[in-house]
Amino acid sequence: MGNNGKIAAKLKKYGPHADLGLSPIGDEHVEDQDLSRRNMLLGLGTVGVAAMGGALGLVGFKDEAVAAGAVATSAAEHQWCRVVDLRACTGERKCVSSCQTRHGLPPEQTWMRVLSWQDEVGKEFFMPVPCQMCENPPCIAVCPVSATTRNPQGIILVDQDRCIGSRACMAACPYEARYFNWDKPAPTNRMPAPSPSTPEFPANQIGTVGKCVLCADRIPYANELPSCVEACPNHVHYIGDFVTDVAVNGRVTVKLSTFLHENNAVRFKEELGTNPRTYYILGNGQPFGGPMEGVK
Amino acid sequence: MITDDQRIPSQTSNAIDAVMRPFKKASVKFWITIGLLSAVVALGIVAWTVQLREGMGVAGFSNRSFWAIDLTNVVTIIGVSYGGAVVSAILLLTGQSWRAPLARLAEGMAAVTVIIGAAFIFPHLGRPDRLLNMILQPNFKSPVFWDFVAITTYMIATFVFFFLPLIPDMAILRNAHPAELGRARRFLYRICSQGWTGSPSQHRVLRGAIGVIAILIIPLAVSVHSVLSWAFSLVSRPGWHESIWAPYFVIAALYSGVALVVLITAGFRRGYHLEAFITERHFVRLGFLMAALGATYLYLTFADILPGAYVGERGVAKVVHDTLQGHYAISFWTFIFAGAIIPIVLVALPWTRNTWGMVIASVLIVITMWLKRLVMVSETSHYDQLTRSFGQPYQFTWVSISITLAGVAAIPLLLMLLFRVVPILSIDEVQTLAAERDEIADPASMNRKRGLGIIGALLLILVASGALSVLNTTPAIASEPTEPTITVTAVASGPKIELTAIVKYGSTPALDAEVKFYESTTMFKPGNNLIPIGKATTDLDGMAKLSYTAVVNGPRTVSVMYYFDPETPPAVGTTQLNVSGAVSPYVPAQPEILAGAGRGLISALFALVMLTFIIVIAQVIRVRRTLRPSSLN
Repeated sequence: MGNNGKIAAKLKKYGPHADLGLSPIGDEHVEDQDLSRRNMLLGLGTVGVAAMGGALGLVGFKDEAVAAGAVATSAAEHQWCRVVDLRACTGERKCVSSCQTRHGLPPEQTWMRVLSWQDEVGKEFFMPVPCQMCENPPCIAVCPVSATTRNPQGIILVDQDRCIGSRACMAACPYEARYFNWDKPAPTNRMPAPSPSTPEFPANQIGTVGKCVLCADRIPYANELPSCVEACPNHVHYIGDFVTDVAVNGRVTVKLSTFLHENNAVRFKEELGTNPRTYYILGNGQPFGGPMEGVK
Repeated sequence: MITDDQRIPSQTSNAIDAVMRPFKKASVKFWITIGLLSAVVALGIVAWTVQLREGMGVAGFSNRSFWAIDLTNVVTIIGVSYGGAVVSAILLLTGQSWRAPLARLAEGMAAVTVIIGAAFIFPHLGRPDRLLNMILQPNFKSPVFWDFVAITTYMIATFVFFFLPLIPDMAILRNAHPAELGRARRFLYRICSQGWTGSPSQHRVLRGAIGVIAILIIPLAVSVHSVLSWAFSLVSRPGWHESIWAPYFVIAALYSGVALVVLITAGFRRGYHLEAFITERHFVRLGFLMAALGATYLYLTFADILPGAYVGERGVAKVVHDTLQGHYAISFWTFIFAGAIIPIVLVALPWTRNTWGMVIASVLIVITMWLKRLVMVSETSHYDQLTRSFGQPYQFTWVSISITLAGVAAIPLLLMLLFRVVPILSIDEVQTLAAERDEIADPASMNRKRGLGIIGALLLILVASGALSVLNTTPAIASEPTEPTITVTAVASGPKIELTAIVKYGSTPALDAEVKFYESTTMFKPGNNLIPIGKATTDLDGMAKLSYTAVVNGPRTVSVMYYFDPETPPAVGTTQLNVSGAVSPYVPAQPEILAGAGRGLISALFALVMLTFIIVIAQVIRVRRTLRPSSLN
């Protein structure tokens, strides 16, 4: 109602040159951003500036990574992180199932858990909790054989061939993000299969600890995103890079720092000093991490 | 100093007779006991092979009870080992010479239980086949690694502490009963005690060495139980993350250890008729020790629970509540009553302050202290920090129970076998006690425990997108174009980029047009993926400005869009620029506050461990050296 009135007033004042304020870009809403991008591509076609396409093509995706590496104070080209936009999560758990399929996990082993709870009026909230990829990870400190490592780009990995199964990391992880292979490994239906077992794409072994690897075998995520990011129908999961300050959810691209600031992103269990690299965007009035009772 | 001739002959021969008893042809009862205990141990080993084959799931573990029975066994059984140390070392150092007949049993128990306790690390691990990684690829930051170091060091010291007092006994037996010893024992005794003559100087050196090891073994045992507790309290889980846990573990170890000394002593006293040496007074004295330790442990239990319960912090409150009223409440309260209050009462009441009373108290303590550790280990592991609720508790299975019983059976089994090889009493010390008590010769008061890129080159490419409007002067009456055009310019000074977009309908500037600025990225996908960097509104000249800090160096494309009509695609203008001196917002994490101190601590600990080894080895060498000159005869 009010919006229509405003448009009418603007039209009256500025004539056809007025900005009608209908531009959806810049709003944080995911669907609008998607629309904007579609329009942008259409726009590029419409304007038809021949020079532009060629100019854009000059910047290869690897070049950009190299360029970033030359600047960053760290030797690493990228510093991966996650953003989980809880506003969009409807608890379909596609992230969990696609992860289990991709990594050939048994049903009880989920490298990402989706917590859920209800408020007093029965509204349901969801919260996916993967490995938070802490910058100060307690799991690495306690591993007696250094089987858990942090790669230069900030991903915590487990060397399945070194792990002695002491489960000290499971005790240390405040996010319960580690899982032990209690029984014989499930029949392998790893994709791509067959593939060698590496810390980046581990094969389950009896008696060792597994965890989310952020699909590290897909680095630099230039063609494929982590399976949870790809699988989410609501585009809740973002994979981001601190160095180039970009994050994507498979549909839109955002400037990471701005996106986090504008949406008041927070980190889980900040008080523990683990410095997690997973950011959550709240916004539905839910208690972060759920209420005292009733979280499933 | 007393020489052999000064000793009371009857006591000497009695002691020798007593220790010769286990060496005689064993009774049927002995072999039946050995057979039964061996069968239990064998079943445990079979169960362990099943666990190795099928995975730890068959032992009842799950992700919500990842540490449970095996770690409880490690803590409990290594804990009772300390009982041997206290009865032998602490009482030795404090001049409690009544300990003499108990010393060998206590030291033997300490040596045997530390082996069995450490062996429980194997079923505890998911991949025991890789245990060597602990040495090959150690992580010095890990409390589990230091557990390994502490247990190993303590184990070696315990062995030496057990071995050194054997030397004179072996010499005495070798001289007294060479025939009855049998060939194997004679051979062993000769190797170990060659050259022992019992001269005052040898006694002095041996006492000195034992004294040093006795001093050493106390901080070593404290370190073992502290580091064991730190495997728990160095993680952020509620219930484990407690500063009181290290002393709590030490007292628990002493308490359960003294109880097991009572049990072992009572068992062997009965089996080998050692009543002449080990009297009711010994049990009562150990009972007093138990009561004092039990009271301390009760106090520490209260001190452990109160702060968490009082403050009511989410996790801790839940764990405390579950301990007192939940799944593990029965175990907890069983410990409180049967494991602490009843034993203290049994010691306190004069009519139960006897051998049987102490044995019953000890049985209660040993069993309930295991239960208490199970509560401590499982309760917290069972708590899910994400849902703030308790998951499936640990499930006992035949596998885990068999493995545990095997460890329990292995204690008497190994001790029975051990005392068929070495004398069950410390003849030398019993003799000395019988004569007169001595000061420890050696004071041995060793103090231990110890980018910005600056200038950017600017490459400005103006994309001639406004071709329509450049030259043609359209007649005033002609209708204006309905689609705007956008001209973008970018001026870079270092990482700072000034973007200017001019929106015009033909030649007419568009006022109040909200334009959006984008930078293109190829980070996650090849192609032209737009990162929104901001928006601005045009002024009277149709000009909108935005400045931003470039994040990535190299050629960049900036696009500007204007949605002039919701129905049609936006107007787009782009420009290229070459960025240098870009500044990534990424700042590597600061080192941890105490990282430097941690590194220093690791070096200090290694130095301490090395010093310990040197001291232990020095004592062995010292004793061996006194044996050498006299071995000529």
